[in-house]
Amino acid sequence: MQNSVNIRKQEALEAISAAASTAEIADIEVRFLGKKGSINELKRSIASIPVEERPALGARINEVAAEVRELLDTRRAELASSEMSARIASESLDVTLPGLPFPQGGIHPLTQTSDRIKQVLSGMGFEFVDGPELEDYAYNFDALNYPEEHPAMDEQMSFFITNDRLMRTQTTALQGRIMSERKPPFRIATIGRCFRYEAVDATHHHTFHQVDVFMVDENISMADLKGTLGAFARSMFGEETLVRFRPDFFPFVEPGVDYSILWQGRWLELGGAGLIHPNILQAHGIDTNRYSGFAFGLGIERTHMIQTGVNDLRLYLENDVRFLRQF
Amino acid sequence: MKVPVSWLKEYVDFDLTAQDLAATLTMGGLEVEEIEESATGAVLDVYITPNRGDCLSILGVAREVAALTGGALKAPDGTFSQSDPPSDRATVRIDNTEQCPRYGARIVRNVTIGPSPAWLQERLEAAGQRSVNNVVDITNYVMLELGQPLHAFDFDLLHGGQIIVRNASEGESIKTLDGEDRKLDSSMLVIADAETPVAIAGIMGGADSEVSESTTSILLESAHFHPLAVRRTSQKLALRTEASYRFERIVDPAGVVIALNRVCELLAALGQPLSFSAPTDVYPASIEGKTIDLRPTRTAQLLGMPISPDTCVDALTRLGFVLEASADADTLHVVIPTRRPDLTIEEDLIEEIGRVHGYENIPESLPRGITTHGGDSKLGTFITRLKSIFVASGLQEVVTHSLTAPSPFDTQSEQFAARRVPVRNALSTNVSGLRRSLLPTMLDVAQANAARGQSNLALFEIGRVWQNELVNGELAAEEYLSVACLFVGSRIPPDWQRPAGKKSDPADYTAIKGVLDHLLAKLNISGHTLRPASDRPEWLPQLHPGRAATISLRGGRPDGIIGELHPEIAARLDLRNRIYLLEISLDSLQRAAPESLRRYSPISRQQSVSRDIAPRVPNEVPYAAVAAAIESVGCPVLTEFRLLDVFVGAPLPQGVRSITISLTFGTKPTSLTDDRAVTEQEVIAALTEIRGALETRCDATFVG
Repeated sequence: MQNSVNIRKQEALEAISAAASTAEIADIEVRFLGKKGSINELKRSIASIPVEERPALGARINEVAAEVRELLDTRRAELASSEMSARIASESLDVTLPGLPFPQGGIHPLTQTSDRIKQVLSGMGFEFVDGPELEDYAYNFDALNYPEEHPAMDEQMSFFITNDRLMRTQTTALQGRIMSERKPPFRIATIGRCFRYEAVDATHHHTFHQVDVFMVDENISMADLKGTLGAFARSMFGEETLVRFRPDFFPFVEPGVDYSILWQGRWLELGGAGLIHPNILQAHGIDTNRYSGFAFGLGIERTHMIQTGVNDLRLYLENDVRFLRQF
Repeated sequence: MKVPVSWLKEYVDFDLTAQDLAATLTMGGLEVEEIEESATGAVLDVYITPNRGDCLSILGVAREVAALTGGALKAPDGTFSQSDPPSDRATVRIDNTEQCPRYGARIVRNVTIGPSPAWLQERLEAAGQRSVNNVVDITNYVMLELGQPLHAFDFDLLHGGQIIVRNASEGESIKTLDGEDRKLDSSMLVIADAETPVAIAGIMGGADSEVSESTTSILLESAHFHPLAVRRTSQKLALRTEASYRFERIVDPAGVVIALNRVCELLAALGQPLSFSAPTDVYPASIEGKTIDLRPTRTAQLLGMPISPDTCVDALTRLGFVLEASADADTLHVVIPTRRPDLTIEEDLIEEIGRVHGYENIPESLPRGITTHGGDSKLGTFITRLKSIFVASGLQEVVTHSLTAPSPFDTQSEQFAARRVPVRNALSTNVSGLRRSLLPTMLDVAQANAARGQSNLALFEIGRVWQNELVNGELAAEEYLSVACLFVGSRIPPDWQRPAGKKSDPADYTAIKGVLDHLLAKLNISGHTLRPASDRPEWLPQLHPGRAATISLRGGRPDGIIGELHPEIAARLDLRNRIYLLEISLDSLQRAAPESLRRYSPISRQQSVSRDIAPRVPNEVPYAAVAAAIESVGCPVLTEFRLLDVFVGAPLPQGVRSITISLTFGTKPTSLTDDRAVTEQEVIAALTEIRGALETRCDATFVG
């Protein structure tokens, strides 16, 4: 019997050393060490030998089984490792090939800039309110202290729909609407589309976008305006940005200024600003001895052009997708 | 306005380069747009804001330089006393003193008309004026110098030798210096002789009394006209001149005689044996400057910087304003000169002090006070939400024109054409009306992009549209918000994985319908219906009648449209590819979308069961009816169903299609603890009910 054990052992060792894959090792394991494997089969013959020899044979069978198992495990580990290497070698890709494109949506650059402006001003306590683009003449001009038939009107050529309704020339038109329904203090901003009757070229367009910002509270000064503009401009254009005022004329502010930012070494004009004209506050019953306010405006296109170097206003409404996808 | 620096130097002392002078003026409120070089040195091109008519002269700019730099102003004294014989003077009558408060005149005889001296010609040229002859040049020169427009008539051509300032009679006309015959009406102020108008007041002289080479006597006019009178006439006649430009912006009434004298002084310097009449100055009601009270404390408060009363006084004095004695130590009484009618309230003076003192001295501070609640509007927030849904669907936002030419959409039906809102004063068709829909301008974008080789497009826009509505029996323009999408070509351009020809992800009807489905699902809008265009083709003349539908979000009136562009319109727009469109009212979407967040619906952690059914339904039964039939069962264990396939053709009989639907069954637990798996009996019962509903409601049959 001891001989059969040795023969089985020899067979197993030969099979293991001949095995070329982990799958073959699995087969060998079943063939020799499985429930009905040839080494286990030997145990059945134990009953047929003398009782005193049985323990020795049993021990010998277990010993061989353990040896075979160890060899199997070692060989399996070797084969598994080389199989993994082979698989990895066979599966290598050109990892620099372009990725699979999928439908790419995008937001128009004017919306991106508007969203950023909204974010910054919201954080400074300004509430955004929407106004109509088809506006009453009264809100667009009269309520903003435009003197009737003044040469100032020449700079505001409008598209008229009827005698008293026009496409708003400035988002400032919302100020009268707000002041007729609210009491100070308030901080309001409105963003949207405006229209002026202009010939279209790289720097002029009959359709453009603007944000108008205004607040009324006690003791609001030109310094508060400058500080607010400074904080706003630094959020939009970077921490180093400086703001400067220059006197200018807008019927709805007094004092009126235009403001510029120092950006990358150059002063760039951004928009108009000033303290809200007392005539406007008084027209809405606001006590100008107690309250004052400021207002400023900013072009959305202008902001985006400064930030990105776009040099032609017309690109925004042209919507060439090669332009839009750049942002 | 062009300001030769050498000329400016005659009126004010300053020691600045042209660049520094330009910077000082710009920072003081007179923006120098350009510095030009001329034969007589640097010339500043200054932009004067419409409220500063007083700066439309060399002297006016000199006053600003004096105020901003502290340099001494050297104004001409404005006297001229030579007259011979003293009894000779011009006869002037003003019939409308409201429109012409003051009229000064002088007759000059023995004039020889000829070229101007070289220095005068050079000055005019530097200031951008053409030289005409000595008399006309001198009047123009004084206008540029002092800001007062002047005119010289050939005195011998004035009927009756007199001047009458009156309104024109209806039907009167005048041939102006530019050779045009102009019809006048009674709203227009004219300068007339005894018989006819000889000039349009404040705008342009008449050709019949023009100074010419044969002129020997002239009548000089220096007058003050009301800005509105000049502006209205100038607009009516579409005639703008240097004179009207200045009068509209208000000329100093106090300068009338000074300018007249200055002209005489320069004429006298020509060296001709001239004889000057005594001056005429008709000024029945003198215009006085007003007095404004200024509080230095308020000045400091509004400017937000420390400013002492002395600083206020210094700035006001530099500007040439006179301070009256004040009983109240905290208030200054400031007399405003008549050249500055733009200054009417205390804040106007605060601005003057601020700019003379220098805005660069204003510090930065942040407003202190009650904290206000910032944030976007409800509408703005909703729009941002819509945009993120579209971007996630792979669409690119566009922003198109509101002002448009009539589109094929509008002209397709008379009813639509009538609802278009025209722009009243449009000069070009491109901006002749307001868009009724976002789609026509989006089609323009598609067309322009296609012409540049960009033919695969998935676009969306959110914007305002307008149409005429009947309000109290009259058409009035109403503003709405609209949302639109456009698909053309393939949603994904061909690439190495999906070569051209084997087009994947085509932009077709199902693609745009997918955008709509996704949008409504994300907005938590349910219960909407689509009505095929074939039901009411007149509602959708712009779309393909077999491939379009109206969308109703809550039943009733359509809130939007979806479908393929009508092939006829596509051909007219020269669009070769099929284009798919969606437009829906944003106002309707906002009304239909619940404001609150969607309530949580529990999900089962048990295995679900899936079964496919394939009813055969008549072609005329739309998928919506099939889906409605399934939903009508109200099956408690049906968690989801999905369309897998639509099959038409052999071996199916004609007129029938097979629709394969995958049904998913599971339980809907109310809590994690009562979660259980769906049973086979429940699935069988549900399938039986669903089949039954499809048979009765959709005329469906099942095979096998």
